[in-house]
Amino acid sequence: MLVMGEVHTGLLQNSGEISESTCRQVLALMAGETVRVSRRPIVHALSPERLTGVDCALPTASRSRVRGVGTVMSRCAVTGGRVAQGSSYVRVVRSEADRRLPWSHYLARPGVVEVLGKAKAADLAEGFTGDSAPGGTGGACLNLGAVSGRFLDLVQASPLLDRRAPFKIPRTSLRWVAETGEPSIRFTLHTEQERTLRLTHPGPFTPAVVDLCEDLATHDWLLTSLLVIVERARIGGTQGAQAVARLAPAIDHLMHLWMPAARVEEWLTPFWESLERRPGFSRQWRSLVDRVRDQVAMNTLALLNATAEAGRR
Amino acid sequence: MTPVHATFGEVAAERRIASVPLSHVSVELGHLYMEDYEAGPDRLREQFARVAPWLATVRALWRERVPGGRARVSTCFLVDDYFSRFSTPAELLPMVLDAAAEHDLTIDYLARESACAHFEDARSGGVELARLVEDRLVDDPPPETDGSRPPVKETGWLCNGSRSPRTTPMQAMGKARPWEPPAQNAKRAHSIFVDVELWDERGPRRTWSCPFLAAVWQLLRLGLLRSDGHVPLPPVALDGGWPRDWDGLPAVVRLNPQAAPFSAYTTLSVLSPRFLPVELAVRTILSQVAVDDEVLRQVATRSESEGVRLEEELVDRISYVFI
Repeated sequence: MLVMGEVHTGLLQNSGEISESTCRQVLALMAGETVRVSRRPIVHALSPERLTGVDCALPTASRSRVRGVGTVMSRCAVTGGRVAQGSSYVRVVRSEADRRLPWSHYLARPGVVEVLGKAKAADLAEGFTGDSAPGGTGGACLNLGAVSGRFLDLVQASPLLDRRAPFKIPRTSLRWVAETGEPSIRFTLHTEQERTLRLTHPGPFTPAVVDLCEDLATHDWLLTSLLVIVERARIGGTQGAQAVARLAPAIDHLMHLWMPAARVEEWLTPFWESLERRPGFSRQWRSLVDRVRDQVAMNTLALLNATAEAGRR
Repeated sequence: MTPVHATFGEVAAERRIASVPLSHVSVELGHLYMEDYEAGPDRLREQFARVAPWLATVRALWRERVPGGRARVSTCFLVDDYFSRFSTPAELLPMVLDAAAEHDLTIDYLARESACAHFEDARSGGVELARLVEDRLVDDPPPETDGSRPPVKETGWLCNGSRSPRTTPMQAMGKARPWEPPAQNAKRAHSIFVDVELWDERGPRRTWSCPFLAAVWQLLRLGLLRSDGHVPLPPVALDGGWPRDWDGLPAVVRLNPQAAPFSAYTTLSVLSPRFLPVELAVRTILSQVAVDDEVLRQVATRSESEGVRLEEELVDRISYVFI
């Protein structure tokens, strides 16, 4: 029917970036399973996948009660030794039985939630990504955000991290729904930290779609964080040196991490490209990076001038 | 210039899952406690006398089922060296093999129960199969489990439903709550609630329970375990006779050089009915183990290619004769 997921992204709670080998240890969530690491064009480490059992109502826009039983597939990732993610998703399918089956039935279908009774894909999609989406007050229904949040906490609580992050920045959450159909993508900013993504892709769902959503979430978080840092620097409203000092974390920790679509399969890159045209993530990123660099350059010039003047005196 | 199609790969970014040779069925000829061995060879002979006709039946059934009649059947025997150590391999194991031979039974593979918990040697390094399986447990969720809270766990226990709420009065809370029944999640009208102890710990030492190790043993026989993508504890032939010490014995010994593969699509265990509660616990555990997707696919593809239809759920691949 459809696939729904939620990605939570945050700054790794460590003073500096962590090495590849530390990434491997931090993400070793399961005995006997290896952490997958890719090094080009940026170090990206992915934990083994874990399942969480659920049996609950699914979010619907119509508020009709739809019961789903199955497992949520979750994993954690660390990008550039600096950005941490907890990511979960479920493939929603119709159940062939109208009652709950023995648990082993669901474990034979990892990451699938079976719907008992009637449900419409559009109703579920709207319920999950619409404004009155879960996490809110409405009755208990599938809470992928909580699952992803716990997986992100699991990484952040690793004893290998020193928990002295260089700056404070909120986590962002990206709730996404993917369906098969005419290609389209809709990215929506809700509150400061909440985003939704509706994706229609040709052909059947593959885990590459999850990679795309995680990649978008990483870059949206980078952009959001850089914006926050630039805003906090109060350029123009404060002393140049002070502004530059406030911009320093961006230079030290964020600016080299922008690698859009680096881990996205080729058939899905058109989705990234269309978002690059409108709203133009990279355009905004470049403009912010230029702004940071210009501030540093101006400040350097001012310093050089001051030194030269002091020398003349 | 025509566009160049570039491909780029990174080994560390890929998952490589080894495959394992598979028989059609792995038959466990018996599982005895140390006290059974203490009772002497007669107890063993009794066991094998009971098992022999069933093994013949299984062979016949699989010959019918497999196209061409070429059924691969392997036999195995598990020795309990985990909960108690008794005698030495050199003294005990020839007695077991002799007793089996008296009933025309060949034990193809012999395994140590302690290897299901932890095994270490120069060849395979250290493998903690029990930990590996523990990390793959996915709790059967009671209704209204929506993911907002972590699964309710009693450390070291696993059940198939919701436990009774605590009935002892909390401090300063006044009246005690009346008893409420536990409930099985997938009940049919009435519950059969099962709560299994997986392990206990005394100080730093963890002791895995017999059902948990038996669950590991089933998974090993089904060829569904991998450690870092490798097949853990592949059978090895014994060179230089039986060792004088249990720790000198490989985890799984291949006794018959012509034997069909140790792991199999399905398993059959011929056991005394006194193992019934243990096996109920084993099934409760196994129905909450999430086997690696890739491994399941490997096995499914292989069985389909030779025209054998496997049950989708792993607990349905396990059968028993209680006698």
